[in-house]
Amino acid sequence: MTDTAVRVSGLTKKFGAFTAIDDVSFTVERNKIYGLLGRNGAGKTTLMQLLTGQQFATSGTLEVFGASPVENARVLQSLCFIKESQKYPDSFRPEHVLTSAPWFFANWDAALAARLVDDFRLPLMRPIKKLSRGQLSAVGVIVGLASRAPLTFFDEPYLGLDAVARQIFYDRLLEDYVEHPRTIILSTHLIDEVSNLLEHVLVIDEGRILMDQDAEQLRGSASTVVGKRTDVDAFVAGRDIISRDGIGGLASVTVTGLSQAERAAARAAGLELSPVSLQQLIVQRTTSITQEAETKTDAWSASA
Amino acid sequence: MTATDFLTGTAPSVHPRSAPERIWNVVRLHLVDRRTYIGIPWLIVGMAFVVTIFIAQIVGFTTGGLGTPDAIEGQRYSWAVLSPQWYLAIVGVQAISFGFPLALGFGVTRRDFYLGTALLFVLISAGNALAFAVLTQLEQVTEGWWIDTYMFNALWLGLDGFWVDLFSFFVMQLLVFFIGASIATIYMRWRMPGMLVFWSALAVGLVGTVTIITFTSSWPAVGQWYGAQGIAGIFAWLLVPAAVAGFGGFLALRRATPKN
Repeated sequence: MTDTAVRVSGLTKKFGAFTAIDDVSFTVERNKIYGLLGRNGAGKTTLMQLLTGQQFATSGTLEVFGASPVENARVLQSLCFIKESQKYPDSFRPEHVLTSAPWFFANWDAALAARLVDDFRLPLMRPIKKLSRGQLSAVGVIVGLASRAPLTFFDEPYLGLDAVARQIFYDRLLEDYVEHPRTIILSTHLIDEVSNLLEHVLVIDEGRILMDQDAEQLRGSASTVVGKRTDVDAFVAGRDIISRDGIGGLASVTVTGLSQAERAAARAAGLELSPVSLQQLIVQRTTSITQEAETKTDAWSASA
Repeated sequence: MTATDFLTGTAPSVHPRSAPERIWNVVRLHLVDRRTYIGIPWLIVGMAFVVTIFIAQIVGFTTGGLGTPDAIEGQRYSWAVLSPQWYLAIVGVQAISFGFPLALGFGVTRRDFYLGTALLFVLISAGNALAFAVLTQLEQVTEGWWIDTYMFNALWLGLDGFWVDLFSFFVMQLLVFFIGASIATIYMRWRMPGMLVFWSALAVGLVGTVTIITFTSSWPAVGQWYGAQGIAGIFAWLLVPAAVAGFGGFLALRRATPKN
């Protein structure tokens, strides 16, 4: 067995004239937590549906645990896909979901499921149709965690969950992941909230992979330089600038890759350096792409 | 591997389940809420029976006394015995429209899902056929539950004996499930365009058949053929649309995708 859970190469998915996934290639290593990040309509859900065999690829190859997931019982038994829009039969109650889930997930942990039901205060006997949005999300989160599937997908699983419930989700995810390592792919908008969970980041925009990077590296890959406009301009001249902001005589510029020596030089020049959060970084990258030519992307990946 | 390994180990990979196990789990998934296939249909039968008791009294009053051949014949036109079928057709639709996205979310293949769903339909149809055929017999033996009220001994049931009742009800039930399921499957595969094509084609097909029969003055021949088949024969022919819906649904679902 290799250490690769997912291997995607030249993957394209078209819906009529619309290209949802555009010639995408990447790999996912086993036993890591991946963040699949991107704006609405970027292709996150479609990509997850392709990886779980729910959609059919237009072209390209796609391997999950060494084989195509499409109609492959061996592969699909190792997957769990929790999506925000999951439909349940009209008459179902959460107890029906939690009773039947163990029949499909061989690693199911009933004790964990029971504990999560308490954590999220999920009313087991209330019809699913009458659950609040947050309670409905809790059903998915419980199944996703308790299934302990070797490859688990969470597609924006937090919709309607309050801050406390989201924190519980992140905490339980991390706790259980440490005890039972597995591959988790989490798509989310709330990048800062999950920033500490993620070990690897995939950013997708308009069906293309924009970033495919180790989260730790990414976090250290950019800094914001703040100070007097003239000083800042002098310091950042010739560097790869991600974004620029300023008021009056002050400027704040985010640049990539500063070495220790360069940091020291900046401080010596009276400039303030602050780290850039994952969210800021990704927002800046995805907006700059829409504003500017794509040539900068190459500079970005080259420096990474 | 010991039991404790299974419970506490990191389980590098899932223990794969065999195909029969996977298909049976789909059957269990459909039945996890017992009300859908068993509770509500029999509740409807119970309600229909209560209504039938009242109707029987009315029929008895107007025909001059219950238990007369006229009254028994009059009750034969009651559709009460088929009262759960409308609900079960919807259940057939929902088996696909709700069951398919749920099963795919649980990592079930389309093939296993369809085979499990078809097996469920066969089992429930067999169970219902047995129950209704037995109830028809009991109704005859007890002369309408000792109150001259006939609900099961109606339409074509109770005319040609237990085995024909059993077979005909089984085919009818299977047809109801598979028609509901295949319509839902067409929607699952082709969405709204599929529905438009299907319903227009069906309407044109029916009107076309009627037109051809009328223009060739074949109605007497059709009536004769129909009469010659007998109850068992007619229901044997109904196996054809049931099989078409069943196999067609399988082919359509193999490439279907759940709605977002």
